[in-house]
Amino acid sequence: MDQMTLNVRTAVVRVDGLSRRYGATRALDQVDLTLERGITGLLGPNGAGKTTLLSILATVSEPDAGRVSAFGLDPRDAAERVEIRRRLGYLPQELGYHRHFTVAAFLDYVAILKEITDRRRRAEEVARVLAAVGLEDRARSRIRALSGGMRQRLGIAQALLGSPDLLILDEPTAGLDPEQRLRFRELLSGLPGDPVTVLSTHQADDIAAICPQVVVLLQGQVHFAGTPSELAATAAGRAWAAGERDDRAHLSWRGGDNRWRHIGDHPPAGAELVSPTVEDGYLMLSHAAGGR
Amino acid sequence: MTNSSPGAAGPVAGADGHPGEDLLASYAAGAIDEVAAWSVEAHLTACGRCRSALSAHVDAERLAHNRSVLLVRAAIGDGGRLRRVLRRGGLPDHVLGLVAATPSLRRSWLLSVMGVLAVVAGEAAAVRYGWITAGSPGRIPGYPGQNLAPFLLVGPLLVLAGVAAAFLPMFDPACRLAAAAPFSGFVLLLARSVSALAAALVPVAAAAFLLPGPGWLPVALMLPSLTLCAFALAAATVLPPRAAAVMAAILWAVPALLLAVDDVPLLIVQRNAQFGCAAVLCACAVVLLARRDRFEWGWIR
Repeated sequence: MDQMTLNVRTAVVRVDGLSRRYGATRALDQVDLTLERGITGLLGPNGAGKTTLLSILATVSEPDAGRVSAFGLDPRDAAERVEIRRRLGYLPQELGYHRHFTVAAFLDYVAILKEITDRRRRAEEVARVLAAVGLEDRARSRIRALSGGMRQRLGIAQALLGSPDLLILDEPTAGLDPEQRLRFRELLSGLPGDPVTVLSTHQADDIAAICPQVVVLLQGQVHFAGTPSELAATAAGRAWAAGERDDRAHLSWRGGDNRWRHIGDHPPAGAELVSPTVEDGYLMLSHAAGGR
Repeated sequence: MTNSSPGAAGPVAGADGHPGEDLLASYAAGAIDEVAAWSVEAHLTACGRCRSALSAHVDAERLAHNRSVLLVRAAIGDGGRLRRVLRRGGLPDHVLGLVAATPSLRRSWLLSVMGVLAVVAGEAAAVRYGWITAGSPGRIPGYPGQNLAPFLLVGPLLVLAGVAAAFLPMFDPACRLAAAAPFSGFVLLLARSVSALAAALVPVAAAAFLLPGPGWLPVALMLPSLTLCAFALAAATVLPPRAAAVMAAILWAVPALLLAVDDVPLLIVQRNAQFGCAAVLCACAVVLLARRDRFEWGWIR
């Protein structure tokens, strides 16, 4: 028990040499990673292996090679796997719902799966997470009657049941409107106990706003692990703003101010050097890896 | 606070017939004994002034929390009459809560099962009593002289379908949550399978009783049905779950059809077949127990 307590206090999640294939497709290739307490953002294009990595961290899938350790526990051991799951909150990318359930009944069901067997305690937990995601007035609604954004919030709510110590969220902000995303960021930043939180997203601004650590996964490999400012710095001196499109740039897109933003080694004519953002750094890495 | 006033205020009433501020504050904080609380509550039901006075002592945050917990409890409900009966029978409420998500326990599923049974049993009865003739359009070709063949084919398959729906990941939209949860996947699987089995066996056995066949038919159908389900579960520990269910269905349907073609479908539920089923059932139970870890890890891979 003392050893267990010690492990929780020094908790990190370690991933060593993780590989996973689906037929001929290599989803993960020798991934090494260390996750500390706090929020880690996982960035990568579709098919980069983010969902596979998160499902292995959530003990839902097995790797073909390599090992995972969470809180000093090894998921290959049945008892230790259950112990990891007791501390886990997981939002899969495509969470299905029993659509005939009410919101409260669904959360009650998930709370039972999380071994909260006392009815009163379950009701209190359900009320707590519903309030956390702003769905307290929807407790009686059937899931089939909820909008996509509400279902996503319901998915986040179920992950929060039991105040997990390891929170794995696969694209939690998909389907949320800007106000809901802000509320989600606030919620995640204010979670008590400072859990180890991993969230995958396509939204670089989510990463910049709430993640002290960011990992970029490209083609099943970790191409970057560091802070958001370090990621932005990878594009330092290579982010430009100009009035015209430049074909020599690695990437060009028109911004809201009607000016073109360029990522590349050659400054377009009349371009001015701009401060790189997290998105610039990510796109630079992605381009260098040939992922786009 | 004194106990002097009579009437609705009862023993908690003060000199003016109402509970004092201190008593109301203690009541709001949950700091008085049960008997005094009942007395206060008896008074509150009849006195609007004291209800208003009480609201000033209530912690608004605590009240809001209690309100939301009560709303959640109301929204969850108690699961209906059957769940109440089973709970009174000693089954743990949380297990009943897990079973409630079993698709083959839904009303629509059970009605479909009864519909199919009504058709095959009705056809058998109609042939037996001469309401339709052997050559009429209501008869299924290929089963000359054996009006029980369709029922013998379909009955156990319906039971298997119910159990398969209870454990196949494709029928559980939230299966990834179950897979990542600490609750034992094997126990969940068994709880759902047993409840689906019971729910499907009841209408199959009832239909078998109504059929114009031998009186032992309902009992004789039990063992093959159980064996089929156990085989599917055991096979799911070595094969993808869907393939396991399909294989079990084929293993029942092929001999049932072959025997029907030869006009002897009842052989499949007679003594030797029953012994065979019992042996397979035991073997499947051993495999299932030995390989139960499969349902804790990698089940939905």
